[in-house]
Amino acid sequence: MVSVPVKIEDRGRWAVSKLSIEKDGLKASGDVNLDIPYRTIVDLEAKGNILSITAKERENQPYRLASVEKVLNVLKRQILLSCSAYRLSTFFMSPAVRGGVLAQNAAWEKGGIAVLKSGIWFFSQDHQICVPLADVASIELTKREVQGKDLDVVKVDHIEDTEVVTSLVLCPLTTLQVLYNFLKESTKSMDMDGAELDPKSAQVAMLVYSGMDTAAIENMLSISHKEVDHIYDALIGLGLAEVVVIRREVKLTTKGVRYITDATKV
Amino acid sequence: MGRILVVDDTLFMRTLLKNILFSGGHMIVGEAENGDDAIAKYQELNPDLVTMDIVMPKKNGIDALKGIRTIDPNAKVIMCTAVGQEQMVKLAVKSGARGYIVKPFQAPKVLEEVKNVLGT
Repeated sequence: MVSVPVKIEDRGRWAVSKLSIEKDGLKASGDVNLDIPYRTIVDLEAKGNILSITAKERENQPYRLASVEKVLNVLKRQILLSCSAYRLSTFFMSPAVRGGVLAQNAAWEKGGIAVLKSGIWFFSQDHQICVPLADVASIELTKREVQGKDLDVVKVDHIEDTEVVTSLVLCPLTTLQVLYNFLKESTKSMDMDGAELDPKSAQVAMLVYSGMDTAAIENMLSISHKEVDHIYDALIGLGLAEVVVIRREVKLTTKGVRYITDATKV
Repeated sequence: MGRILVVDDTLFMRTLLKNILFSGGHMIVGEAENGDDAIAKYQELNPDLVTMDIVMPKKNGIDALKGIRTIDPNAKVIMCTAVGQEQMVKLAVKSGARGYIVKPFQAPKVLEEVKNVLGT
């Protein structure tokens, strides 16, 4: 049993406590009582120095713990090894590629992969990396050269700060196939449901991604404001875009025209 | 600000890149839609920088890069790659590419890379 210093969120305030990392769960007593058996944990999220732990009996009210990075890493690893998740021992490389280019210092690590409710976790003795399921862009069973041999791997692409980041998982092919199927199923909600974009809509989507505004899109594609609006509606309907600002176009009234005319008189 | 030659086989991508580069204050001196055309335009226009698509008909971007570097060993060429073409990027860098941008483009990233390569 190991005891680590943490802060535990309790009714809107943070209470300083000692958390025991026990064989079958996390426990704290004192100001705040806590007992989280590992097998009840269904989700884990890490943001900064806060860890959110979702247990079966209170799925809408995750436990929130804060501590220093070193302590959180120990907690994350312990939870990932013992929680209720789809879990495999694998070699992984994450990130392997960032923005289309091989990541510096990318190396295969021996560890595991755990698929929880909201994210895919890659974990080893030293690292715990989470890929949120909502950010997964693609999952592919493919081949990669490892020590001179072409080996089967599962490639997971996800979006991080607008860049595509690739992670690779390496294990025996039969296990990879099961993992691939499981990951595909877990991210099914992000699939396009067979509704492909027509070429014009795809171009509009790409221009939006590139940072073009509506006026620039109209100019580049020589289409009307009405047509762009219609395509925006389709993108929003497919869940591919969201409205961030509604801009108004105005024309001057007679009073406005008179004002401008007067203002420009010498 | 630089005088730039844009090389891509699709009109849409060329137009997008031209818009992004123009918005950053650069001058587009020419465009080419394949590798052979790119080498000829480079000789003719002597641009400060080239943005070069990798996958193109006739002569691909890597071969065009090599051709341009034969004419001008100091040529500044930025490769345009698609996600998943990391092996191509390695090859391009070995062949003398000064930088890379990834499709789909994001305007700030494109301008940042151009600025880095131009050294402005």
